[in-house]
Amino acid sequence: MNAAAEFAGVSQVFGDFTAVDSIDLRIAQGKLTTLLGPSGCGKTTTLRMLAGYAAPTSGRIDIDGVDSTRTPPEKRNLGMVFQSYALFPHLTVAENVGYGLKLRRVPAAERQQRVQETLELVGLGHLAASKPKKLSGGQQQRVALARAIAIRPKLLLLDEPLSNLDARLRVHMRAELRRIQSETGLTVVLVTHDQDEALEMSDDMVLMRAGRIMQQGAPQDVFPNPANRFVADFLGYENFLTAADGSVLAVRPEHLDVLPVGGPTAAGGLALDATVTDVAYRGVDMLVTVRTVDASGADVRLISDVRSDGLSTVSIGDVVTVTAPPSRLVAMAAEVPEPVR
Amino acid sequence: MRTSRPVAGSLAVLGYIIMIVPILFVVATSFTGGRTLRFPPEGFSLQWFEAALTYDPFISALVSSLQLALIATVLALAIGIPATLAIHRGAIPGKGVIEGLFLSPLIVPELVVGLALYQQLMIGFGLANFETLLLGHTVLMLPYAVRVTGASLALADPALEEAARGLGASPLRAFFTITLPLLRPGIFSAGLLSFLTSFNNVPLSLLLQSRDFRTLPVTMLDYVQQSYDPMVAAMATLILAGTVVIAVIAERTVGFAKIFGGINR
Ligand SMILES: Nc1ncnc2c1ncn2[C@@H]1O[C@H](COP(=O)(O)OP(=O)(O)OP(=O)(O)O)[C@@H](O)[C@H]1O
Ligand SMILES: [Mg+2]
Repeated sequence: MNAAAEFAGVSQVFGDFTAVDSIDLRIAQGKLTTLLGPSGCGKTTTLRMLAGYAAPTSGRIDIDGVDSTRTPPEKRNLGMVFQSYALFPHLTVAENVGYGLKLRRVPAAERQQRVQETLELVGLGHLAASKPKKLSGGQQQRVALARAIAIRPKLLLLDEPLSNLDARLRVHMRAELRRIQSETGLTVVLVTHDQDEALEMSDDMVLMRAGRIMQQGAPQDVFPNPANRFVADFLGYENFLTAADGSVLAVRPEHLDVLPVGGPTAAGGLALDATVTDVAYRGVDMLVTVRTVDASGADVRLISDVRSDGLSTVSIGDVVTVTAPPSRLVAMAAEVPEPVR
Repeated sequence: MRTSRPVAGSLAVLGYIIMIVPILFVVATSFTGGRTLRFPPEGFSLQWFEAALTYDPFISALVSSLQLALIATVLALAIGIPATLAIHRGAIPGKGVIEGLFLSPLIVPELVVGLALYQQLMIGFGLANFETLLLGHTVLMLPYAVRVTGASLALADPALEEAARGLGASPLRAFFTITLPLLRPGIFSAGLLSFLTSFNNVPLSLLLQSRDFRTLPVTMLDYVQQSYDPMVAAMATLILAGTVVIAVIAERTVGFAKIFGGINR
């Protein structure tokens, strides 16, 4: 499979601060890749280097198999959607979308047609003559998207495109973006710090932390098999135990069961006696917090998310057995060492 | 005016009266039929306007003043706009110091500037008095060019230019198609302010005048010292009318809020 873009040993250093630390990254052709990680981990910096707005301190970036490390943004033919949308306030929606086409000397008639087509694609055909200021946030975001798509870019780059939208619109736009991506066949790189967004939208997800890539893969592969504790934590595995051999076992709250002491447990699974320290009733389910001691002798706090009707009688101070079937126990490398920045 | 703040309101009204009434006196006396600069005017006539417009020293001084103000404004913008861009967008060290330098003519007394220019350039280098005046006025206007365009630049999102670059525009192209149009009201207001500042300037022009190049305010000042007839009032009224026309055009094309919105930042 051809890579639409490839980073090799790319770093970005600001003063004595390493924002991106020697990353290797392949962006697959025609796929939607997300860069996911907590605030400040270097997602935007990575995207800006790909777009050409910031030159890497070291390393090499290939676009379409051509070394583009030092190519200025105007020669890269990439479509970028900024978090602030960056619509040109003195131009109409149609002029915004047509800006790149005009620079490419597309004849007026064809330009107008392509602008209209692109606006239809994002559902804004009726607003071509408006000024950006008159539009809602969601509409402005679509204009920014249309402007980036209209130039038929090699890659479409989106920096937290949905984070300025309200919750309902955000969920709707996830589906819209996927539709637009599959209709256009574009290669998309999307930056987000929302794991649900990344899981739902990605063909390929790249988890970053402190300027480094922690794991890359399809959501279906990454989610059940987090490579290390950071990834597991970020993806919502809340329970971590140290196994007898020193490796880390992670269990999601919904896979941890709370049973009366002495009940039957699955062979090879987890079974630990524990004391209930908190019970939070949430309607359909409840969160039971327990304290126990893991195989390494460390005191640990576990959270179980159980259906309310399955266990109605548990209360604070009860002694119980927490269990998880072997298939739900995820073993991973012990804590990754804190990177030196 | 809000009635909830009677003191501030009254002060404002008083301020307007103090500013406007003397102007009305001047305007009224310029239409007098009599021979002296006296209020109330005696009768009505346009004779003093005719006199002012046919009085050669006034006309040549008016041309000089307009020339000076126009060229100095263009120069101040030509120096000030790139300087503003460098201060706000460039990666240069000591931006604060540079900006301070450009704003300093606001603080240094004009007489000091004038004297320094007189000694250094006219006496020291033997520069002609038009060139020296031009230099002085340009320096005097730089704060407006830097401050007012700077204010509108600060309001423009830097991502706009990046977005233009990403869509295929060279840095120059991005500047001319995106940044410059956004700066236009700021540039317009800086130009207007500079022009009026130069046109009305007395201290510098007084120090650097010569027999063959004298600005209008200086010429009028000279005239008042010699004779006390209403021709000066007529000339002042004409200048006032010109300023009002410029202001109305500015208001219609860009709007005062936009023009002067940037100054007090
Ligand atoms: N021009 C710069 N100069 C100095 N430090 C910078 C610069 N740009 C980014 N940084 C720093 O580099 C780190 C990574 O920034 P970046 O914007 O890439 O993070 P991010 O993952 O996009 O975070 P967020 O989710 O908050 O947008 C941050 O700590 C930031 O402060
Ligand atoms: Mg960011």
